[in-house]
Amino acid sequence: MTDALRRWAPPAVTVVALIAAWQLYTTISGIESWLLPSPRDVFAAASEQRTVLGEQVAATARLTLLGFTAGAAIGLLVAVALHLVPVLRAAVYPLLVVSQNIPIIAIAPLLVVWLGFGIAPKLVVIVLVCFFPVAVATLDGLRRGDPVIADYLLMSGANRRQLFTTFQWPSALPAMFSGLKIAATYSVFGAVISEWIGGDQGIGRYMIVQKSAFRADRLFVAIAIVVALALLIFGLVVLLERITVGRHAVGRRDNG
Amino acid sequence: MAEQAADPVLDITDLTHRYGDLQVLAGVTLRVQRGEFVSIVGPSGSGKSTLFHLIGGLVTAESGTIALAGEPVAGRRGLVGYMPQQPALLPWRTIEENVVLARDIAGAPRRASRELARQWLDRVGLGRFARSYPHELSGGMQQRAAFLRALICDHDLICLDEPFSALDAMLRTEMHRWLLDLWEAERRSILFVTHSIEEALLLSDTVYVLTRRPATVAERVEVPFPRPRRDEVVDDPEFVRIRRRLTDLLRNETS
Repeated sequence: MTDALRRWAPPAVTVVALIAAWQLYTTISGIESWLLPSPRDVFAAASEQRTVLGEQVAATARLTLLGFTAGAAIGLLVAVALHLVPVLRAAVYPLLVVSQNIPIIAIAPLLVVWLGFGIAPKLVVIVLVCFFPVAVATLDGLRRGDPVIADYLLMSGANRRQLFTTFQWPSALPAMFSGLKIAATYSVFGAVISEWIGGDQGIGRYMIVQKSAFRADRLFVAIAIVVALALLIFGLVVLLERITVGRHAVGRRDNG
Repeated sequence: MAEQAADPVLDITDLTHRYGDLQVLAGVTLRVQRGEFVSIVGPSGSGKSTLFHLIGGLVTAESGTIALAGEPVAGRRGLVGYMPQQPALLPWRTIEENVVLARDIAGAPRRASRELARQWLDRVGLGRFARSYPHELSGGMQQRAAFLRALICDHDLICLDEPFSALDAMLRTEMHRWLLDLWEAERRSILFVTHSIEEALLLSDTVYVLTRRPATVAERVEVPFPRPRRDEVVDDPEFVRIRRRLTDLLRNETS
């Protein structure tokens, strides 16, 4: 309890101080509220827009979770396939890395042209941003197990399937979760971008509308929601990690 | 003990192997009788680990034969119990689950394996750590678990690859006693690789001294001390004499 307090108190104080400074600045400088709303304006906007935002957030959350799940699943499949088939790895892996230099924001309009304005192009955007960190981290993890243990298992007669299930896959879990955490934050970002380029709902769409109306206060609310959503999905991954890796997490760290 | 029965568990004849241009083994011949404790001593880099990889089937020899209980086994895996230099326990398995690892791989019935593991852990005083994870145990306890893992997989031969080289001197002495007591009660066939002549003489019935690479057998020594062997045997004049001779032999090999 006191440990948690010691850990969370300093950043909490910083946040409160920053908000207070912000409030102070807007009050003293008399800056126009459409340019920089005060924290009080932002809170007011949030409570006034509650119902409207609820629907938009639900839509974005659904889209994000769906995209994240699909992206993570594809990332895992790619990692396992490339790991098990070295030829495939040699042929595909470099291209995979290079492909990450294509900005998603540049492909997004193309996806709309091909797939229309429905959910399909949005999902593809999220999958594209999510699968890469998962695939690369997992692939790395699959190769990073202790070679002494691998030798031991082979000497003991393990076949490739047993080597994979009893050793390589469990060794890869910590790395895989690192990849999933990165993908979790990317996924919300991907969802918002995909809603900007086409769509009739979601927090991204909401931002476009409020931007046209110069409602900076509501944009701040939207930003706060995007951050909260990203933290939530990140938290889900951490929870999943605790359940899966659990008690021996310390031991894993000790043994590299 | 050594020569009374002509029932070799391991019979290696004229084994030769090279990695690319590097000749590692040049005609190694050695034998482990049933119930015999055999050590291999050699300068570092003399191909001791290669020998184990060949016996374990990880690599296939260029020429020569390896037979386990009379059967040629070149390139076949999973036929010997093996204990590597580091404990190599899976960090996410409990000690009990680690001890049954080789049996699981061989497809032995799980419940029986667990039962056996429990009995052995109790017997060596690790019973209360059965549900612990490896990082919760000391280095010596991890080595004991790794040894049990090799012991209970029911193969005729157990291969130990410098299992105590990473331990400090005190712990090593303690592990020698532990292994001696356990082995003298069980009399399993053991092939033990070490770079310590004293360790080899203390534990073994027979010691093979390897030459430097490419390795051949420089000398085969039958250790004349009776069982059960006491710690004081290292002070016996005969022990000191043999140790001196083998040390000189090895020194000539390394220089």
